[in-house]
Amino acid sequence: MIEFRKVCKKYGTGTMALKNVSFNIQKGEFAFLVGSSGSGKSTLIKLILKEEEPTSGNIIINGKDTTFLKQGKVPYLRRSMGVVFQDFRLLPDKTVYENVAFAMYIVKATPKHIRRQVPMVLSLVGLSGKAKMYPSELSGGEQQRVALARALVNNPSMIIADEPTGNLDPDTAWDIMSLLNEINMRGTTVVVATHAKEIVDQMKKRVIHIDKGVIVKDDKKGGYNCEI
Amino acid sequence: MRFNVISYLFKEGIKNVFKNKKSTISSLMIMCATMLIFGLFFVIGENINAFVKEIADAQGIRVFLINSATDSEIEEVGKELLEIEGVRDVRYISKEEGLESMRETLGDEIIAGYTENNILPASYEVKLTDLELNEEVQKDILQIPNVEDIESSNPVIEQIIRLAKGVKIITAVILILLIVISIAIIANTIKLTVHARRKEISIMKYVGATNSFIRWPFLVEGVIIGVIAGLISVGIVGALYTYFYGKLSGTIFMDIANLKLIEFKDMFELILIVYLGLGAGIGAIGSAISMRKYLDV
Repeated sequence: MIEFRKVCKKYGTGTMALKNVSFNIQKGEFAFLVGSSGSGKSTLIKLILKEEEPTSGNIIINGKDTTFLKQGKVPYLRRSMGVVFQDFRLLPDKTVYENVAFAMYIVKATPKHIRRQVPMVLSLVGLSGKAKMYPSELSGGEQQRVALARALVNNPSMIIADEPTGNLDPDTAWDIMSLLNEINMRGTTVVVATHAKEIVDQMKKRVIHIDKGVIVKDDKKGGYNCEI
Repeated sequence: MRFNVISYLFKEGIKNVFKNKKSTISSLMIMCATMLIFGLFFVIGENINAFVKEIADAQGIRVFLINSATDSEIEEVGKELLEIEGVRDVRYISKEEGLESMRETLGDEIIAGYTENNILPASYEVKLTDLELNEEVQKDILQIPNVEDIESSNPVIEQIIRLAKGVKIITAVILILLIVISIAIIANTIKLTVHARRKEISIMKYVGATNSFIRWPFLVEGVIIGVIAGLISVGIVGALYTYFYGKLSGTIFMDIANLKLIEFKDMFELILIVYLGLGAGIGAIGSAISMRKYLDV
């Protein structure tokens, strides 16, 4: 589903963010991406989202080599992934419902489809009762649920979450993680970049540990700490 | 594209217009100001053009033939005249007709002596498609064999033509200035909305919106501002023109100069089309320029 083949990324500043990174995340898998700040995690996410181009190597997503994807095709690649960020990135002047529906407008869904799909994902994330509220009226955890609903609404084949619990207290963080787990159970591939050591240790999922641009450990049922 | 998508994009564009009221109003004012200056020269130019055309319709070049020209040579000259670019119509005036028209203008007594011995040459009256071609046509006519001389329009006409040309050039320069200034103003206004909505744009990109989808609302915003500026300007130009039309027409000065102004309703359609086209075009280009930077992610 997401495959990196000997990917290197060097920024214009000369920083070598990723060195010869190779891994393969299968369809339906749940994988954590861990590592300290500046380890190359964010670069990796950006490469998956095609926000950045690799300096060398190949990135294969959904069986397609996206390394030489034309700029005009990038939006269609992104429609196959739902993205969640640490800072939620909701539109403050739109209600919960509108924030989610917005993602469907963008991919030109029919009004009928939107009316059916939005309440469905809102109930999946447990926010059915708050559809008419604005982001400012919600707690951080609830806001992240809205973001997750927005990421899910177009039925992507994978969810990419960049530090989804970074701004949340531990209990709420757990809620979000179990929600991601539930989504994964339904067949969606989930990739989570995170610092949340405790959660990673307890969830016993695949952990890709990256340090200074190199994958130091790729553990099928691992924890955060690993002997190198 | 589906109707709901189009209406969504339009709604967003209209929202943009009202989101940045200050910059929208200031760009509207500047656009209107430049459009009004352009409109001033445009209506003056239209009036001069109409005047010149009226003269052109009445005025012609008289081409006198040498006295010894035979009938077939005269016919040949007529054909060659018609071939010159800028000649609309050619009419033959025989010696007798020439004398007759002279009798009408000068009276019987003066030409009495000439009826027996008509020394008036045969001639052609040449009408032009465009008075501006006057000089070139005259040069061409003098090249034709058997042409003795030509009598052309009076120098006043030449001056009016020069004036019309001058106004045209000024109008063109002002038009270019208008376009450049307005594009810069609109681009700046849209840049502000783009900046205000950059978060939204980045979300749109992550969700997989195509660049054209992201661009549309801003394009709509630019076109709306441009069209509103155009409509306001048409209104102001119309009001001012009608006011001065009422003040000027029928005055002694206009009667003496034999000038007749065009009524605004006769120019309305043209001005409306020019202003709306300009407004929409400038708005579209302005927003395209301001969007370029934000879309390469």
